Amino acid sequence: MNIFERMQKLDRRWIYIVVALAIIIPLMIPYDSDNVTTPPTENLYQMIDSFAGREDRAILMSFYHDAATMPELFPMEVAILRHCFERNVKVFTLTWFPAGAPIIDYAINSVKEEFPDIQSGVDYCNFGYKPQAFAMVLGMGDNIANTMNTDAEGRKLENLPIMKGINNYSEMNLAIEFSGSSAGGMWITYARPKYGLNVAVGVTAVMAADMYPYLQSGQLIGMLSGLKGAAEYEKLVDIFAAYRDPKIDYSIKVDEDGNQILPGRPFGREILEDDSSKKLSLITTQTKAKFSMDEFAAFSAKYPENMALLNSLRSLEDDMVIIDVTQITPEQRSQMGETMYRELDRLTRNTLYKFKVARIGMNAQSVAHIMIIVFIVLGNIGYFIQKARQAKN
Amino acid sequence: MKKTIPLLIVILGGLIWVAWAFSPHYILQEVFYNQFYLPWAYASSPFAMLLGVLSLTMMHSNKIKTRGPKWQYSYFFFGSFIITCLAGFIGGIQKGSLFMWMFENVQMPMSATMFSLLAFYMASAAYKAFRARSPEATVLLVAAIVVMLAQVPLGVQISKHLPSISQWILDVPNLASKRGIMLGVGLGSVATSLKILLGIERSYLGGGD
Repeated sequence: MNIFERMQKLDRRWIYIVVALAIIIPLMIPYDSDNVTTPPTENLYQMIDSFAGREDRAILMSFYHDAATMPELFPMEVAILRHCFERNVKVFTLTWFPAGAPIIDYAINSVKEEFPDIQSGVDYCNFGYKPQAFAMVLGMGDNIANTMNTDAEGRKLENLPIMKGINNYSEMNLAIEFSGSSAGGMWITYARPKYGLNVAVGVTAVMAADMYPYLQSGQLIGMLSGLKGAAEYEKLVDIFAAYRDPKIDYSIKVDEDGNQILPGRPFGREILEDDSSKKLSLITTQTKAKFSMDEFAAFSAKYPENMALLNSLRSLEDDMVIIDVTQITPEQRSQMGETMYRELDRLTRNTLYKFKVARIGMNAQSVAHIMIIVFIVLGNIGYFIQKARQAKN
Repeated sequence: MKKTIPLLIVILGGLIWVAWAFSPHYILQEVFYNQFYLPWAYASSPFAMLLGVLSLTMMHSNKIKTRGPKWQYSYFFFGSFIITCLAGFIGGIQKGSLFMWMFENVQMPMSATMFSLLAFYMASAAYKAFRARSPEATVLLVAAIVVMLAQVPLGVQISKHLPSISQWILDVPNLASKRGIMLGVGLGSVATSLKILLGIERSYLGGGD
């Protein structure tokens, strides 16, 4: 048996071992890589961000899947929840699938740990498992509180503060369906034409091709496809929603008409393409907060009582002021207070594992895709050489 | 009578829903839908769930009684079903409960493992069966390689044009074929629905006519 015949008859267990290594090694050794964002992800991000700080706008997240598709769908759910909690966007969650109920709790709890001020019934509301999807989708178009009645904790919806200003799809104007099927079609068929609801989907990569016709026709305003979509969204949240300029005060303000305004970094393609943005979405561990002289002066002016402490922590590198948060002792941390510490920690641009899991997964997927392509090429080379030899003989 | 009455129920029910979908009249939208249909739909849902549980229990009980193929696994069904129910009903489903612990540490990893096996089968199938045997297969192979490369960060580093080429493949040839399939399925569904509504299609009643 020559080498090409051997290649054709390679035991599949060798292939399994190579694939396993190609996936496990990048997962264990994360490296920084750039996930180029695509318009369907950017459009969804911008739509959600346009609701920031508004009392009369909310989004609905429908978790229509079980644990099997969590590796692809869960990171996108976490990324969107993080975006909403960062930017003060009201969120409603539900599932049409009994097995989806614990996933909602798990997603909310995971993100909420990093946002101590976020409250159930005020900033988000979980409807839990609801049967009769068709009836619910149509009913919410008329009145959400009457259709859903209670949240997952059994509280009357009409008594919850989150319902202030939210009646139906005119206010809860975006529904995002997460599923491993084409379930998002229900929203497109019934809720979009009748009530003008904006619809987006988060689907597993294999289902993405099925949703493209709706995306191109404008029936879907955005789509996250598989782990790549989740990685893109994580990156957008890091660069825009979670970005804090040391010189800006990010507290909520009220304009002349009484509308709440939440200062934040507006979405811009030029920011995404700028090299400095790449430093905002690194997945390797970051411990140093870096300031220009002006930024440091503006930051320390916000905490005049801790000026001396800040000066003692700082060091200079290439005309930049550096504060290494790992050097802050517990005593110094209690002296500066939790608010300032969290702000400093945020300025290191370090991303927690749960908020970069899709990007780490994309590294593994990169290697796995290259591996599969190599397999295809090798398989074809072996096939054609063997075929040529047979013809010759 | 055994066929006429069910047929009439289907035709009448179908016509009511068609009228509801196309008419904004108060009787259809408020009286029929909100006051009649919705409460019935909510009330029937728990019974559907109960039916599912009963059916599953009967199936596994019979399997154990008759020593059917792989009957031993049915004990695992009863064991996990009872433990999960007790954990949920007694300890609740909030964070930190036994139910959530089991969900996070048993169900999630097991389900994800089953789903991830796909990667291994895909790699094996790609090596063993994905051959450029004909011009059509070659086009498919090249398109697959371009889309796969464009999906990942490493591919973008190979060429910055890959994402645009991949997007074109998804937006043009992929969409054309998808639309064709969807139109076919849509027209087929309308034709079948009309045949059921008009009583032409009766195979769902059984008997084969």
